[in-house]
Order: sequence, then C-alpha cells, then structure tokens
Amino acid sequence: MKVLIIDDEEDTRSVASMSLSLLGGLDVIEADSGEEGIRKASVENPDVVLLDMMMPVMDGAATLDKLLTNELTKHIPVIFLTAKAMTSEIDRLKRLGAKGVVTKPFDPTMLASQVQAILES
Amino acid sequence: MKFQLKLSHKGIILVSVPLIFATIFLAFLTYLLNQAEHEVEAQIRAKALVTEAGNLQKSFYDAGVAMAGYSITKSPLFADRFDAILRQIPTILESLNSLVGDNPKQQQVLVELKSIAYSALKILKEAKNAVATDEIDMAQMKARSVYKQARALTDKLKVTINDLTSDESMLVNKKSNQIDSKLQVKIFLAIGFLINIIIAVFLALFFSKGIGSRIEILTDNSIRLARGQELNALVSGNDEIAQLDKVFHAMAINLQEAMEKERAIVENAADVICSINSEGKFAAVSPACKELWGYTPDELVGRKFVDLVLNDDLAQTIQSARQVRQSKVTTSFENRTFKKDGSLVTVLWSAYWSERERSMFCVAHDITQRKLAEEAIKASEERIRTIIENMLVGLLIITPTGFVEAVNPASERIFGVPAKELLGKHVLNLFSESKFMNVDNEYDRKQFLETFFTKSLNRVGEFDAIKLLNTDEDFPVEISLTEFNIGGNLKFMANILDVSERKELEKMKKEFVATVSHELRTPLTSIRGSLTLLSVGALGVLPEAVKKVVAIAERNTIRLIGLINDILDIEKLEAGKLDMVFDDLALSNVIERSQESVKSFAEQHGVNLIMAQTDIKVHADGDRLVQVLVNLLSNACKFSPKGGNVTVAVVDIPNWVEVRVIDQGRGIPAKFKNLLFQKFQQVEASDSRKKGGTGLGLVICKGIIEQHGGIIGVESEEGHGSTFYFRIPKIKEPSEINKIFLKQA
Repeated sequence: MKVLIIDDEEDTRSVASMSLSLLGGLDVIEADSGEEGIRKASVENPDVVLLDMMMPVMDGAATLDKLLTNELTKHIPVIFLTAKAMTSEIDRLKRLGAKGVVTKPFDPTMLASQVQAILES
Repeated sequence: MKFQLKLSHKGIILVSVPLIFATIFLAFLTYLLNQAEHEVEAQIRAKALVTEAGNLQKSFYDAGVAMAGYSITKSPLFADRFDAILRQIPTILESLNSLVGDNPKQQQVLVELKSIAYSALKILKEAKNAVATDEIDMAQMKARSVYKQARALTDKLKVTINDLTSDESMLVNKKSNQIDSKLQVKIFLAIGFLINIIIAVFLALFFSKGIGSRIEILTDNSIRLARGQELNALVSGNDEIAQLDKVFHAMAINLQEAMEKERAIVENAADVICSINSEGKFAAVSPACKELWGYTPDELVGRKFVDLVLNDDLAQTIQSARQVRQSKVTTSFENRTFKKDGSLVTVLWSAYWSERERSMFCVAHDITQRKLAEEAIKASEERIRTIIENMLVGLLIITPTGFVEAVNPASERIFGVPAKELLGKHVLNLFSESKFMNVDNEYDRKQFLETFFTKSLNRVGEFDAIKLLNTDEDFPVEISLTEFNIGGNLKFMANILDVSERKELEKMKKEFVATVSHELRTPLTSIRGSLTLLSVGALGVLPEAVKKVVAIAERNTIRLIGLINDILDIEKLEAGKLDMVFDDLALSNVIERSQESVKSFAEQHGVNLIMAQTDIKVHADGDRLVQVLVNLLSNACKFSPKGGNVTVAVVDIPNWVEVRVIDQGRGIPAKFKNLLFQKFQQVEASDSRKKGGTGLGLVICKGIIEQHGGIIGVESEEGHGSTFYFRIPKIKEPSEINKIFLKQA
C-alpha cells in the first residue's frame, strides 16, 4: 500500500514516514505543500493521502477540495493529520470529504494500524 | 328608708298641692252656689204658687158672688162675669200644675185640688143653668146645694191650698236663712284662701331650705376647687343637686389626676421643660436637666441661660431667642451647650414666648446622637457618591418602562456622551438593536425591554451597546439589572460594564491556546515519534544504556503531551466550550473501549482488570465517557498493588446508571476526598512524579460527567482501597417511553 504524506513540517513528515514504512511496512511518498501533494497524488496515484491541516499558502481543507475535484485524484481516500483534537473539528473535517482523522501527536507504533482501520471502516 | 325627693318632684308638689286644694275648694264652692240658685228658684216658684192658689180661691169666691148676683138680678152682667171667672179657673189650674213641677206631695195636693175645683165648677155651672131656666127653686135649691158644696169645697179648697202653699211659705221663710248662708260662703272662701297660702308658704319654705343650703355647699366646693383645697363631703339626697355635687367631685378627682399626670410628665420627661424669664435666667426647670446637663433644677434656676451655650453658638442663640420673642408661634433652634462636666451636648430647642408671663417656655431635646448619626449618614452618602461617581462600572437608573432616570459618570464614558444626552432616553437607544428596531415605536421598545429584562435581571447578560455619538460603533457590554424601590416606586438599576477589552483578551487567549496547541503538538509529534521509533528498535538495536535514556525521554514526552491535552480540556471546560457529541450508545461499548485503552497499562502494573457486562444504553458522548473511564481505570491501576484487582461494576438504579471502579489500593484519607476533584490536587505531592499524571484528570472527569447531567464521587477508607463512581442518566426503554406517552394520552 502506498501512502502520500502531505505536511509542511519536515520533522513530522519524517517521523510519520518512518513510522509507516519502518513499523508498518508501507510505501511512503512525501510532499511538503498542498500544491506539491496534489501534483504527486495525480502522478503517483497513492492508495491513501495523509494530509496535514495547518499549512501555509494552501491549507489542508483547500488541498482536500482540490484533490476531490481533480479527476485524477478524487478517488483517493484522504485522512487528515491534525493537531486540532476537538470532536467538532473532526466532524467538520469529515464533512469536508475526508475519510478519517488522525490526531497529532500520534503513536508511531499505532499509526499504520490506525490508517488501515480508517480505510476499512 | 328615708323618703328622698328629686328637685323636679319637689317643684311638682309645690305647685300641685295648693292646686289640688284650690280645685277641691272651688268644687265645693260651685256646689254651694248651685244650692243657693236652687233655693232662689224654689222661693220664686213658691211665691207664684201662693199667688196662684190665692187667685184660685179668689176666683171661686168671685164666682160665688157673681152667681149670687145673677140669681138675684138675673142680669147678664153677672152672668158674663160668672162665665169669665169660670173660664179663668182652668187656666189657673194649669198654671198651678206647671208650678208644682216634680214635688210629689204638692202633685198629690194638686190632684185633689183639681178634683175639688172641677166639682165646684160643675155645681156652679148647674146653678147658673138653674137660674137661667128660671127654675128658681131649683136654682135656689141648687144654689143652696151649690153654696153648701161651695162652702165645703171652698173650705176644702182652702185647706188644700193651704197645704199647697204651706211648703212654699216655708221656702219663702227660708229667705232669712239665705242671708246667713251667704255669709258662710264668704267665711269659707276666706278660710280656704288662707289655708292655701299657708300650704304654699310652708312647702316653699320646706323645700327652699334643703335646696339653698346645698347650693351653698356647691358654691363653696367650686371655690375650694379653684384654690386646690379639699372639697366638702358629698351633699345628702338623690336629687339633681346631689347628682351635680357627685359630678363635681368626680370632676375634681379627674382634674387632680390630670394635674398629677401632667406633673409626672414634666418631671419624668426625657426632654428638659423649662421657662426662662425676660432677663434670660432660668425660672423653672424640669428634673430632666440632670440627665441633659448634669445640673439639678435648683442649680439652674436663677442662672443665665446663655451661660450654658458654647461661645461659637452664642450669637446665633441670642438671635434665635429674639426671633422667639417676636414670633407668636413655637420656634425651633439648635445650639451646642456645656454639661456640668464640661462636655458638649447638642440641643434642639422648641421655644414659645408668653407676653403675659413675660417668659420663654422651652423644651430642650438632646440631639447629639442624631447629629452624629446625621453626620455619619452624610459621610456615608458622600462616600457612596464618591464611589458611584468614580466607579468604572456604569450605573443607569431605569423606570419599569425602560426610560433612563439617572446615570453616573462611568455611563457617560461608556456611551461617549454627557449625562443629559442619556437622561430621558429609552434604553433601546443605547443598544445595537436600535439599528433594526424603531426606538419611537412602543411595541418595539416593549419587545426589546422584555429581552433586556430576561437576559439581565438578577444575572449578567451580554449585549452589544453603541456609542451615541457614532452609532455605528458597537461594543460588548455586560449588564446586570437589580430591582429596587424608592418610596414605593419600582425602579431598576443597571450595572453596565464595558467588556470590549476583556472580549479582546478572551479572543487573544483563545487564539493563543489554539496556537499553543498546534505549535506545541507539532514538535512533540516529531519528538515523540522519533523516540518511539528508537525505543521500539525501528532504527536498529540500541545499547541498553541508550535504550534506558530513550525510554525516559519517551515517557516524559508522553506525559508532556498528556499535560497539554489536559490543560486544553480544562480551558475548554471552564469556558463551557468542551465539545460534546451526544449519542445513544451501549454502555458496554464504552467499557470495552476503555478496557482496550488501559489493557497494556494494567499489564505494566501487574493489575487484573475485571469488567462488568451490561446491556444498558446511555445518551452520552462516547469518546468523553471513555476518557473518564480510562482516567479512573489508569488511576486505579497506578495505585493498585501488584497482582491486585481493578473491577468495573455497573449498578442499575431507577433512571440512572452508576459505573463503579473499585481498586485495592492504599485508599484515600478523608481530608483529601473533597480536594481530589480540584485542580492540581494529589494525595501526595510526590505522586505526580512517582505515578505520573497531571493532577488534572479528575477535574476533567468531573467536568465531563457534569455536562452529562451526572455526578462523580469517591468512596474510600484509608488502607482499604477506593471506589470511584460516576452516575449518568440512562435512556428509557421504548416500552417505558410508550408507557409515559400512553399515560399522557
């Protein structure tokens, strides 16, 4: 399974990437902005996108909107990776069209299984 | 019993006794006069009777003479005379008849007389006829017979007439007696009159004696009363004078009592009652002066009134005293006077000048305390005014219909206009609602007022106020209305606090929290992730010493994350903004999820988890309920001995479900039970370091359970484990709900 991580924060991106690849055995590609993420998603056609909410220029919501309206990417499930843990926020993100939400800070040992669980739900 | 007469009775007797006597006397006199009248009448009649009887006798005699003449002469002259006489006789008899009246003896005699008279008449007529027919012999015989009969008749007549007249003659003889009886009447009249006068005089003397002496006593009593002497003893009797005397005595007693009361009032009055003569000296002073000034009345009498007055008040006092003399009514003034011990006492004087007595009568009332109280009230008012005028909170006094009656300077600052611009305005003018409501429309004003009162009466309501100079400028205010009464008029006091700055701060705080949340979590995510990758060996096997320090770093990072999460939760709870998503859910699901979360933690502590089975459903935020149960379970695991049990029990009680977490730990001392649900409270200060945890967990649990409308608590005995429980409302079974609906239907 190929996972695209879109996050402007390099450290977070690296930890998430290593957690998924080293502990979860998944293929990971990274993007450091919304634009880059959309481009990579349409080119690489990942199985799932882990999308950070708070990013400069194009935030998570805008990126999701672009992904969902793009013929090449609209089929790819998107999971938000957010530091906003409020229930209302999670509901709001789900309404935007996300498949699920994983809150930061995440447990690296659990991240792969959390993603799997959301995709299967 | 002594016979007592009233004055009116005596008057009646005085008039009525001589009157009765005079009436009897008059009646007797009338009787005597009647008697005399009868006698006079009888005498007149007797006279007439004697005269008529004489006439009858004479007629018969004349008839006999005429008959004799006729028989001798046969002259018609005698015949006519005879006839004429005969015709007269019946008339005389009739006359006699009428004179006799109802005298039975005389009637008897008259009957006899009539019979004799008619017999004689018959004989005379026969004799005349015999003469007329020339039967001289016959006539003579007749005449003789007649003569004989006539003689006999005449004798009889004489006797009868004598009988008839004898009575009358007696009466006539009484005439001389009449003269005697008139004299008797005169004597009788004189005696009666005399007796009457004697009785009247006697009665008058008798009664006047009793009345006069007692009236003298009454007069004396009135003099004694005026002099204040003791009255004479009560006068005797039961009449009006005695009554008057009794009333007089009662009046004297009442007067005496009233005087004693008045004296008692003067002597016991708390105020000093005194008179000051024209020289300004005390003439008389009531004993209260001892209390007021410390002087006895004797010490004050003769002293100058102004000697007591404080120098500063002297001029004003003399001026006031002059006014009292000029004024005809009671006048009041105040001054400060010295007591005997040199201390000051403030006195309110009520004074009246009597021109007749040439004195000023005064009542002096101690108003020292009142003055102090007044000054205290004044100071208090001053203080309150200062507070109101300088307070930052705006104050508006509002009528029940919503019009502004009074404002303080803070209100002027808040609304940006001087007080006069606010006074008389309807409160709707002051708020942003005035932009879409019509301030001149009574309905709109009422509508707003209703909202205004509902939101802020006896509570704090938030409103958007406007600056009156620039109505586009909105600013948030907090308003609290309080109802109060001034002289029976309902008013409302609005406390207005401009919360613009606070709101701004809150906004900043909110943004700050959000920023902190994000900015802290982002690096923590990397740290924690990196450490975990290291500790789980994802990046290769680590030497033991490195593994140990990485574990320390990882554990503390997790703790730091927990602390940040807790602080954010507390922040939201306190702001009432903890997001809750309520749903109908099975309690068993919450228990399973919680068990899953703490399973590894329990294993680390060597604690067995024993979870209850239940099919109860609750209306709750599942995630938050899991958060609570995980918190309670983690605590229980942390404080349980190795190999101990932590049990979750579910108790079904009507309308509620209670979840109990029972551990076998060290228990909680009683004094800590109440502190447990407060921020940063742990039973031992070292617990947060030894056992981990922030000291915020139970506070968050309490907030969450309370938002579910439930309660949370602990039962524990030191050394015997603890039971933490929470109780939330359970969902009613459909059948139960149906029952309720059916009942309502």
